[in-house]
Parts: sequence; structure tokens; C-alpha cells
Amino acid sequence: MWLEEVDEIFKGYLPCYILIVLPIFIIISPGSPVSASTEFPVYRMQHYDLHGVAHGCRSAGINLEARSLSSWSSPRHCVVTKLKDLSIDSFRNIKLKAGALLIMLPENLTDLSAEDKQHFLLLENTMIAQEISIPVYFVRYSKKLDTIVDEISQGLDTNDMSKSAAEAMFNSIAANGYQIVVSSSNPSIKTDARVATIQGHLPGYSTEGKIPTIAIVAHYDSFGMAPDLSYGADSNGSGVVILLELVRLFSGLYSEAKTHGKYNIVFLLTGGGKINYQGSKKWLEDQLDSLDGSIIQEASYVMCLDTLATNDSIYMHVSKPPKEGSPASYFYKELKAVSEDFPLVDVESIHKKINLAEDVLSWEHERYSIRRLPAFTLSALRSHRDFKRATISDTRENLDVNRVIRNTKVIAEALARHVYNVSGGYVFGKSWDVSKKSIESWVDYLTTQPRSPQLLSNKDNILVNTFKETFDKYLRDVKTSYAVPEKRDPDFQFYEVTKGTMNVYSVKPAVFDLVLTFAIILYLGAIYFLIDYFPLVYGFACSLTSSKKIKGN
Amino acid sequence: MTLYHFGNCVALIYVPYYLTYKQSGLSEYGAFWKCIQAGLIYMFTQLAKMLVLATFFPDNVSDFGSDLIGEFLKSTVDLADLVGLYLVLSGIPGKGHSKVLTAGIGWATAEVILSRALLLWVGARGAEFDWIYIQKCLESNILLVQHIVTATLVWLWSRHDLKKNLKTVVTVLLVFTSYKSLLLDLLIANLGAGAWFGLLVKAMVTMFYGFVTLAIYAGLAQVIGIF
Repeated sequence: MWLEEVDEIFKGYLPCYILIVLPIFIIISPGSPVSASTEFPVYRMQHYDLHGVAHGCRSAGINLEARSLSSWSSPRHCVVTKLKDLSIDSFRNIKLKAGALLIMLPENLTDLSAEDKQHFLLLENTMIAQEISIPVYFVRYSKKLDTIVDEISQGLDTNDMSKSAAEAMFNSIAANGYQIVVSSSNPSIKTDARVATIQGHLPGYSTEGKIPTIAIVAHYDSFGMAPDLSYGADSNGSGVVILLELVRLFSGLYSEAKTHGKYNIVFLLTGGGKINYQGSKKWLEDQLDSLDGSIIQEASYVMCLDTLATNDSIYMHVSKPPKEGSPASYFYKELKAVSEDFPLVDVESIHKKINLAEDVLSWEHERYSIRRLPAFTLSALRSHRDFKRATISDTRENLDVNRVIRNTKVIAEALARHVYNVSGGYVFGKSWDVSKKSIESWVDYLTTQPRSPQLLSNKDNILVNTFKETFDKYLRDVKTSYAVPEKRDPDFQFYEVTKGTMNVYSVKPAVFDLVLTFAIILYLGAIYFLIDYFPLVYGFACSLTSSKKIKGN
Repeated sequence: MTLYHFGNCVALIYVPYYLTYKQSGLSEYGAFWKCIQAGLIYMFTQLAKMLVLATFFPDNVSDFGSDLIGEFLKSTVDLADLVGLYLVLSGIPGKGHSKVLTAGIGWATAEVILSRALLLWVGARGAEFDWIYIQKCLESNILLVQHIVTATLVWLWSRHDLKKNLKTVVTVLLVFTSYKSLLLDLLIANLGAGAWFGLLVKAMVTMFYGFVTLAIYAGLAQVIGIF
């Protein structure tokens, strides 16, 4: 009968073709059916070229075994560590010999000790300074990952002689290992990268002759170890916020015929400030090299705002000390005068010549000084080498908004006194003053998203559009110009893949599976005998019931 | 290596089924087709159950234990399994032993293929190692015993020559079968015990269950003269 035939087929052929079919199945089954139990968002380190020099880490994909700082030994290991445990020396070593590096950030970037903070900044600076061939990722603190990192640093220490042989053997069989997988294609050059610079101006009014121009510049991008972690609340969020507040204040003044100043004020939000002020460079080229003259050529001075909330001091950085009687020196005097009313604020002028031998300009005003425009930078930092200008610890929590407000007051007042030519007595007062609310809302808005140049370089960026809309609201002739890297010999190049998802798999050593097989065989053997001797159990049950019956009877 | 682990799991889950089928002598009865039939009825029963669940129960994805009455009612739907098993048993001619075993093995095999195969294929082949797959496999082994026991109980319940007092015992056991997994899960969750201990508890309870059923069955089998 056909029933028996089916049975026959099952008996005779099934094991044979299963041997062929199953591997084929496995080979052709699409993708990897891996379902990760633990996923973490990870942020890749900076990766860009500037003036043909490569910076940051050059690769992205990881599929390696996780090891701790002390136990890694080969390029097949991905070193997983907490930021505070990583020293600069060990980083150099890892950079050369390990397979990948994963750094877990501290839980809280605000309350680090001064020492930790210094270490953090120093490490960050060292890492960015050089080209790294291995993938380097950052991951935010999470409890789950923290336990994994601890487990990695404790276990798998095969060289430990203090354990007994049996213990060591047991460990080598049952130890938990972790496989770190970041599936990511090789980073490719961002082809549509462009750096937007937004300009707008307030036309001055004067009955006599030419109207001089003041330019106020702030770059709006930020920088840090990883693009997606650079919120840049202070550098240069504070500069942007102050500029936007100046826009609001002066547009209000200029709209009234009585208070219409006799200076043109050009406001400029430049992009690419962290990559050698590419936005300013492009804008200046456009303005100065165009055939019809631009208002910037009559600039009294160009004022750049950069990082104005770290200290109470305001430093005026210049490349050439302004001549006595020039508008810039006049502004400086006003600034000094205003600051005297604010006991905490200290104004100082710092003179530093432009070093053309260096790859990167120190301050934004140097871009303008090179083109022979009188320019200076206002900053709360004393030196352009300060690490605080490029760190991921520069977040909203670390920003002192009150300082931003106070510095805005000082700068706005000094500027207004210069524009209206009044010394002593306040221009801004009760009815029209720096608004805390508007400053806070801008600070909050700017710090909700990372503003690394590569993240802002795409078309129709929301942040750039917001700036443009704000300028449109207050200013005239709002224009956006774009700096695009040349095809040949590009000034800057960005790379795709700034973040990804990391899967952490807990894995067992291969020996473990063998041991497991052995255990399963034993278990199955036990089952076999159990079934084989089942009649004994049945007999026992029978005797039980029959004896019951006897009792019952 | 992970494929190897998958192999381990498959061996652990399916070999006991195969052994039971082979050793019990069912293959000599040509019960293979009947097993498949039992499997088909299993599928049909599950479909019916799912329809009921989808129609009458809100889609609650809350944590286990938060909605006890809901869980209880859901377990009540599992009584349909007994009806399904009854259908399977009525479709199989033959004597007690083979009848009950065919129904139980067919039913359990269908379940293990439908509910575990995909889980293992997706899960145990991954790079990630997790004890849960080994635990699931062992749990399936327990379920095999459970289903054979349930089939036996249904068969006993359908007999008219069972003593009255035993009939009540059988009925109570049958009803309890539906709520067993719920009650055990609750017990284990309340004890705060780990998965391995939970597995042990399940195995013990099922063994006890099986033994009681075996005793009743043996008694009846002696009376009606099948060995």
C-alpha cells in the first residue's frame, strides 16, 4: 500500500537527502538571520581631509572579539574601554596594533573632576591630531554596556597563574566572550558636501557721503572627537547666539527713523569655522574678487565672535594692533568702558601675528586680516590652542547661559555706543534690552543637535534654513553662499558614515560547543534507556494498581 | 560554529521524539500517516484557537502576571486542545497503547515543528550564544511527555468502563492540564527562581502527572485486558 511506501521513503531516503538539502538551505538562506540581543548606537570618530592632510579614523566596519585594555594582544581584538582608563600611551599602542577601539564615554560629562577633564581634553586633542587606520567608535554610557566592559576586563585573563588548573580549564570552556559587530561599509567621500554661509545686512543712513560698514561674524559649526557628539554649546554656539541677539537688537533700532544708525552692519554666519574657516574664506573671495565692489571693502572693522562663555574675561585678539583713532580702537575703548560697569568682566587685548607657516589659522579674524581688512576676534579664551574649542564635553549642561547674556550685554552696548557715537550713558535699557528669553531659546535650539561641519553640509539643511529664515525676518538682502570643495585638490573633504549601530553578541568558545554536544549525547542516551526500560515502569504501575484493588476489595 | 550549535539544539529537541516513535514500536504499526493526521488536526485546532483569541481578547502585550483574569481566560481556550485530541483519538483505530501514543506523538511533533523550528533556525544559528535555546529544547522534551499524558487522559475520559471516582480524577486532571502552564509560570515567577530551576519544577510536575496517569491507565488496561 502507498502508506507503507511513504513510510519506506521516510526510512530509506530521508537521512540521505537531508544531508544535502540542509546545507544548501543554509547557504542560500538570505542574509544573516542574526537577531542581536544588545544593540547600541555608536558614533564614529571624526574623518575628514583638510588641505590634503588626512585626519581621524579611516575605516568603519568592525567584526572582532572584545578585549579589555590589559588583555588585548592582536589585530583580531577590538579594545573596549572606558574613557577615563585610556591613557595616551596605550592609545598610541592600540592605534598601531589593535583591530578596533571602542570607547565608552562617562555617564555624565558635567561633573568630572578637574584632573579627569584635563585628561579628557588632552586625549581628545591627541586623537584628532593624527590619522588612525583602525575604526574608532564612541558609545554613550549605559548600564548594560558598563557590565559588559567590567566583565571583559575581569574574565579571559588566561595568563593568570593564581587560579588552579581546574578553574582555569573551566574558565576557558565556559567563559563568556563578546563579539563586537558594527556592520558598515567603507567610508566614502561625501560628494555633495558644501558649506553654507549666510549673510544679511542692515543699511545705515547718513546725509553725508559714504556710509562705513561694520561686519559681525560668527561661525556656527562645532567640533569634537565624534561628529555626532559635537554639540558645541560654547564653541561656537555662544558666538552664534550673541550674533543673533545683536541682529534682533539692531534691527529693532534700525527700523526706527530716530535710531537709524549711520553704519551699515553686515551680519555673517559662516560655516566650516572648524575646518580652517572655509566659509569666511569663500565669502571673502566672492566679495572682494567680484567686479562690482562690495560693501565689505569699506569695512571699518570686522568683528568675529568665538567661544564667549568659558571665562568671565573677554579677550580681543588682533593680528595687528589697531591704530590710535581707528574705528577698531574706538570700539575697544568703548568695550573697556562698558566692562567697567560689570565687575566680573575683564577686557584685554591680545596681539598675535598671523603665522602663515601653520596649516590652520588660529582665529577667524585672520582670514579678514590677510585680505587687509581691519579685524579682530572677541573670545573668552586666551589662546587659540585651548582644547575647549574642540571637545564633545562642550554641551548644554556645561554652558553658563548667564555668562552668555552678560557678554551679549557688554558687546551690544559697546557696539551701540560706537554706532551712535555716544560715550557714557546706556543705549540699551528697560524698553529695549538683551532678552534672556530669546537667548535661552536659541541656546536650547542650537544644542539639541550636533553641528559638526559634515553633518550640516547636505542640501537643505534644517539648521541653515532656520538661520536663513531668522535673517530674512530681521535683515535685508539675505544671501546664502556655498563653499564647495574643488574637484581637483580639494580644500576639504568629508566622509559618509558618522554613526552606526553596534551589536554585541555574547559568544562561547568553540570548546564549549563540543562539551555541550557531549552532554547532549549523555542526556539522549539516558532518554534512550528510559524508553527502553519503560515496560519496567509500566509493570510497577500495574502492580501498584492491582495491589490497590486488593486493598479495595 | 554557530551552525554546530544549531545542530546541537536540533539533536536535543528531535531525537527524543524519534526515539519514542521508534522504541514504542509505532513504526511497526505503520502509524506514520496517522501521526501526520494528528499533526494536521493539531494545526486546525490551533487555527480555531487563534481565531477565538483574536476575536475575544484584546491585544494586551503587558507584562506577565499583570492581567491574571485575562491570562486565565486565555488558558481556558486551551481546552480546545482537548477537543482536538479527542478528534485525533477517535480517528485512530486500534488498541490503547498504540492509539494513545500515536495521538500524543503526532500532536507533540506537530507542535514542536511549528513552534520551535523557526525559533531555533533564527535564534540558535546566530552568533549570539544564549542558554534559552537549550532550555527551550529541554522544555519541548517535557512537553512530549505532557502531550502523551494528555492524550492518555482524553482516551481514559472517553471510556465508559472507567470507574466513577476515577472518572472525576481524570476530569480534574484534564481541566488542570489547560491551566498547568499558567499556574507553573506563576509559581516560578513568584518564587523568583531562575529558568533552570523553573525547568526542573516543570519536569517534576510533569513526571508526577505522568505517573498518576500511568497508574490509572494500567489499572484500566488490566481490567479490559490490553497490555
